[in-house]
Amino acid sequence: MIGVFISTQIKMKLETITPITIRSLQTMKAEINALNNEIAELNNIIKMKEEELALLENIAKGDDNIINILLEDIKYNKIHSGKTALEGPGIIIKMYDNPEERPFGYDLNEDVIHDVDILNIINDLRIAGAEAISINNERVLSTSEIKCGGPIIRINGRSSATPFVIKAIGDPKVLYAAVNAPGTYGDLLKIYNIGFETSIEDSIYIPAYTGDFQFRYAKPLGKDD
Amino acid sequence: MKKYKEYIALTIVSIILGIIVSVQFKTVNKTLGEGLLPTQRAQQLASELKKAQNERDLLINKVDELEAKIKQYEIEEVDKNIYAENLYNDTMKYRMLAGYLDLEGPGVVIEINDPPVDLEYGLGYSIIDELDLVLQVISVLNAADAEAISINDQRYTSFTEIEKAGNHIEINGVSTSPPIVIKAIGPPDTLESALNLKGGIVTILRNYDYLVQVYKENNIIIPKSRKIKEFIYAKPVEENLD
Repeated sequence: MIGVFISTQIKMKLETITPITIRSLQTMKAEINALNNEIAELNNIIKMKEEELALLENIAKGDDNIINILLEDIKYNKIHSGKTALEGPGIIIKMYDNPEERPFGYDLNEDVIHDVDILNIINDLRIAGAEAISINNERVLSTSEIKCGGPIIRINGRSSATPFVIKAIGDPKVLYAAVNAPGTYGDLLKIYNIGFETSIEDSIYIPAYTGDFQFRYAKPLGKDD
Repeated sequence: MKKYKEYIALTIVSIILGIIVSVQFKTVNKTLGEGLLPTQRAQQLASELKKAQNERDLLINKVDELEAKIKQYEIEEVDKNIYAENLYNDTMKYRMLAGYLDLEGPGVVIEINDPPVDLEYGLGYSIIDELDLVLQVISVLNAADAEAISINDQRYTSFTEIEKAGNHIEINGVSTSPPIVIKAIGPPDTLESALNLKGGIVTILRNYDYLVQVYKENNIIIPKSRKIKEFIYAKPVEENLD
C-alpha cells in the first residue's frame, strides 16, 4: 500500500517538474556553444567587410586605385580556392593495401583501400583544421571526387593507385592525433592490416589545382544573363 | 510473538525505502547542481539559446548589408575601366570556386531521412552515426561534375568538415540534424542518374532503410560559405609568372 502510494506520488511530481532530461540539457548547451562560435566567426567577417568597405570608399574619393585592390582580391581568392601552391608544416600519410600474402579475412575486399577509407581520413583531417590537402599530388578541393574504379581510385579525374600518399598542411600535432589516436578511423584501418604510416614534416609542398575550371551551370545569384 | 516479527519486518522495509529515496535525491542533486531545479536550468538555457540565435540573425543581416554596399561600390568603379572589369570577372570566378559567392543554377536535390523507428524493438539508428555515407554521396556528385554543393544549406568547400557532435552534426562548425538535404548544381541528368545507378549510393542507403528522395530542380540556390578560413601554417609558394 505504502509502495503504491509513494510511487504514484513521485510519478505525479515528476510530470510537473520534467519532461526535461539531463541529456536534453546537455544538447542545448552544446547548441549554444556552436552558436557562440558562429557569432564569433560572423564578427570576424564583419570586421573584414568593414575594412574592405573603407578601402572602397577611399577609392570613390579618388585616393586609391581599384586595380591594386582587385589584384589583391584575386590573390586572396586564388589561395582560398586552391589555385595556388602552398607550403608549410604538416603531416604525410602513406596508405597501402595489406602487403601480406595471406588475406586478412575471408573477403579480399578487406585488404584493399577503398574510396570510403580515404574520404574518412580526409574528413578527419579537415576536422583537425587542415589548410590544404593533396592525394598523390592531386590537390583535394570541394569539387574533387574520390571514387573507386576497379583497381584504381579516381581523384580530380585522374587515376591513382596504391600506395596513396596524403599530404596535409596544418598544425602537425593536431593532424597527427586526428588520424592516429585510438578510436580514430586511421587507427581502425591498422586493425585490418592496411598499411598506414604517418610522419610529421616541417615543410610540405602541396601543388595547386591544375585542372581547368569552367562553371557551365552555376552562376552568381541575381545575375541574369 | 508473531506480531513482534511483523513489526521488525516493517521497520526494515521502511529503513531501506528511506535510504533508497535519499540516495536518489542526492544523485539527482549532484548531476544537476544543487539548489537548481532542472526546469529552472532548462529555462535559463533556452533563453540563452534564443538570445544567441537572435544575435546571429542580426549579424547575418549586417554582413548582408555590408556586402551589398561593397558590391555597389565595386561595380561602380569597375565600369569605368576595361582592365578593371576583366580583373573583376576573374575575382568572381575564383570567389565562385572558393565558395564565397551565392550561386544558382539547375541541379539535383537529395534528401536523406532517418529510417522509421522499429516499434517492436525500439531500436532506431540515424545517419549521424554513418556520416561516411554522406561523404560518399558528395563524392558521387563530384564525380558527376557537380559545380557547387551544399549540405543543409551549408556550402561544401575545400575546408568543410562533417562531424558528429553528440546527437547532432556539425558542418562548417554549424550544428544541424537529420534529415540531410544535399543540393548540387550541375548537369541535372548526369547527377540524377549517377545517384540512382543500380547498386549505387542511393541503393546502398535504401538497403539500410534510409528514406531517400532524389529530384531534379531547375533553379537551386546554394549559399556562400560564412566561414573564412585563416591560413596560419600554409604559405603561398611564389610562382614565376611569365
